[in-house]
Amino acid sequence: MIIDRRHALKALGVTAAGAAAGFPAPFVRAQGATVQMVSHRYPALEHYAAKMQSALPGVEVNTQLMPFDRANELATIALSSGASTFDIVYASDSTVLKYAKNGWLRPIDDLFEKYKEEFRLDEYPESLLDAYRYNGELFTLPGTANVMLWFYRQDLFEEAGKTVPTTIAEYEALAADFNSPARAGTISCQKVVDASLNETHWYMNAIGDGWLDPDLRPIFNDDKGVEAVETLKRITAYAQRGFTSAANDECTIALQQDLAVQGLQWATRCASMDNPEKSRVVGLIDWAAAPDGRARLSGDGYAITAYTSQDPELLFRIIATALNHDSMVEAAGLMVPPRGPILNDPAIAEQYRHFPGVLAALETAVPFPPVAEFYELGETITRRVQQAITGEMPVKQALDTAADECTTLLKDRGYPL
Amino acid sequence: MHAQRGLWLFLVPSGTVLTLVLLYPLGYAFYLSLFNYYLGAEPIFIGLDNYSSLLLDERFWSSLRTTLLLVSASVSLQFVLGLAVAFGLYKLTFATKGLNVLLFLPHVVTPVVAALFLRWIFMGRWGLIDAILIGLNIFPPDWLGNPNWARLVVVLAESWQFTPFMIIVLYAGLNTVDQSQIESARMDGAGNWMLLTRVMLPAIRPLILFVLAIRIMDSFRFFDTIYVLTAGGPGTATETVTIYTYALGFRLLEVGKASALGVLTLLITATAIALVIAFLYRRERGAF
Repeated sequence: MIIDRRHALKALGVTAAGAAAGFPAPFVRAQGATVQMVSHRYPALEHYAAKMQSALPGVEVNTQLMPFDRANELATIALSSGASTFDIVYASDSTVLKYAKNGWLRPIDDLFEKYKEEFRLDEYPESLLDAYRYNGELFTLPGTANVMLWFYRQDLFEEAGKTVPTTIAEYEALAADFNSPARAGTISCQKVVDASLNETHWYMNAIGDGWLDPDLRPIFNDDKGVEAVETLKRITAYAQRGFTSAANDECTIALQQDLAVQGLQWATRCASMDNPEKSRVVGLIDWAAAPDGRARLSGDGYAITAYTSQDPELLFRIIATALNHDSMVEAAGLMVPPRGPILNDPAIAEQYRHFPGVLAALETAVPFPPVAEFYELGETITRRVQQAITGEMPVKQALDTAADECTTLLKDRGYPL
Repeated sequence: MHAQRGLWLFLVPSGTVLTLVLLYPLGYAFYLSLFNYYLGAEPIFIGLDNYSSLLLDERFWSSLRTTLLLVSASVSLQFVLGLAVAFGLYKLTFATKGLNVLLFLPHVVTPVVAALFLRWIFMGRWGLIDAILIGLNIFPPDWLGNPNWARLVVVLAESWQFTPFMIIVLYAGLNTVDQSQIESARMDGAGNWMLLTRVMLPAIRPLILFVLAIRIMDSFRFFDTIYVLTAGGPGTATETVTIYTYALGFRLLEVGKASALGVLTLLITATAIALVIAFLYRRERGAF
């Protein structure tokens, strides 16, 4: 393209005309333009993103995949400014409440009803859909269910004559036994916010009484909560190098590259342990429910933004096509399928050796509290937990400080505490 | 007098630009700081409550302490290294220009890109330093995961990027020192150390104060390097005021409080710089 004075003046004219009409021309996207989607990234979501790109003939879908915190941050910035930058956004069971409460998403109940038969949407259990409802309206079409479970090196356990830990105390002892400079006794994912919140959630529910009481008052700083974080702090002494900045990707790689023996990780990461292109431990990892159970239960999917300039029906069809029955069967090994008939299909369970561990973990798994602001609470909680585990602040003081900050934040948001 | 008035016209273009890109956003930030404005909800006017709640906020004071620590450590290191290298270049009789260009390269790299390089160098296990040391069976500290090491890495990263600026300015300054003074000192038997500390540094003191003021101002805005390297962590170990402002605005969506913190930061920086300028005008009128 030749850039000369004439072209420059023409471009300037178009921009000026747009500005005169009340909007900056280059920033307005017309209907029929490329559909923009932003999402978290892991193998199952990569599968869905690829399916979206070819979902409807003649419709171009640009998918941007990135780590969870980045995707959430980018979506938040775009949506809070009311921009039509994204048409489809990734939403988990926790972020969807924030997005929906703020009016950033379009309810999809009408489209769900309209396309129920075509896309076999009645395969989704109502209890699962409830996690994506706010004030009775549905905002997300689920793509995965997910649960955190125990990853452990079967070969090393057998060699050492050890059995899978069933309690956190056993886990701590095993982490100490297995720990060496070259191979950590455990993985720990303590990157703020998402990864640290997930892991701490397990300690808070297995040892503590959870995060908040029914009136949303913090209880994570009570005696059991302090014991939970004290335990976490002790166990991180056996964690892999760089655990304070490790999220799911880094922990997955630590396991795949034989740098750690065991630890808590998502079901969506199981299949990659047996991928010879990425893993040095193919066939050596096995799975079980987390010691003492009560690890995090989650799920995610895709939502249509309230500010899209695209036809919502077109967007729903793109999502529903990417997440249809066949696509989900194809991706079943990469996640926990949220469609009932797929999850309960014995043939599929037999096909993937991590399914027994996943099903065991599901029995006791606990979701985050259904509070729209929980991720914002997590911002302060996880920073304080990191201060506690790195010795910058005593555990009790860190949790008390976090509890005060959470109370202030919830009061500011209008909760009667 | 008429001619003097005409000179004001020259300020109109820059004044207009400054009003548009600086004063308007600043005014708007101050306006927002008077509201309890959570993105997604209606703003509620609360007067100066955001300011009072920040002044009672432990995390604000902690971020301010961290900012002061990192700014003073990195600017001091930049100055000492910059002066040493500048004096070395001054004394060098060959290849000075080539070395100058090479030494300036880190300053040319975009801060985010430079921080990404450094992240790959200091990253645990897969970083360049770790890979080399672990290959030799030496297990170094967790550079970005240990609070003290993380602070040190941030200071080193900032110094690596901005010491070249110090070098260039100080080298230029050293070259302006009157040769007759240097010759006299030499004839009186002054060695290199004496020459630098007793003759050259006093001669370029206004320049030194100027460059320190510029770097202090700049370092107070510490953001991109820290955001990429540690994101303020572990915990709040490297959380500066700007990182906390970002967290308030874009993670907690507290636009009113984030604006108030922005205004407070501006006031703190402006006060520090005003003190430096007042000091310079009283003692060294030539500096500004």
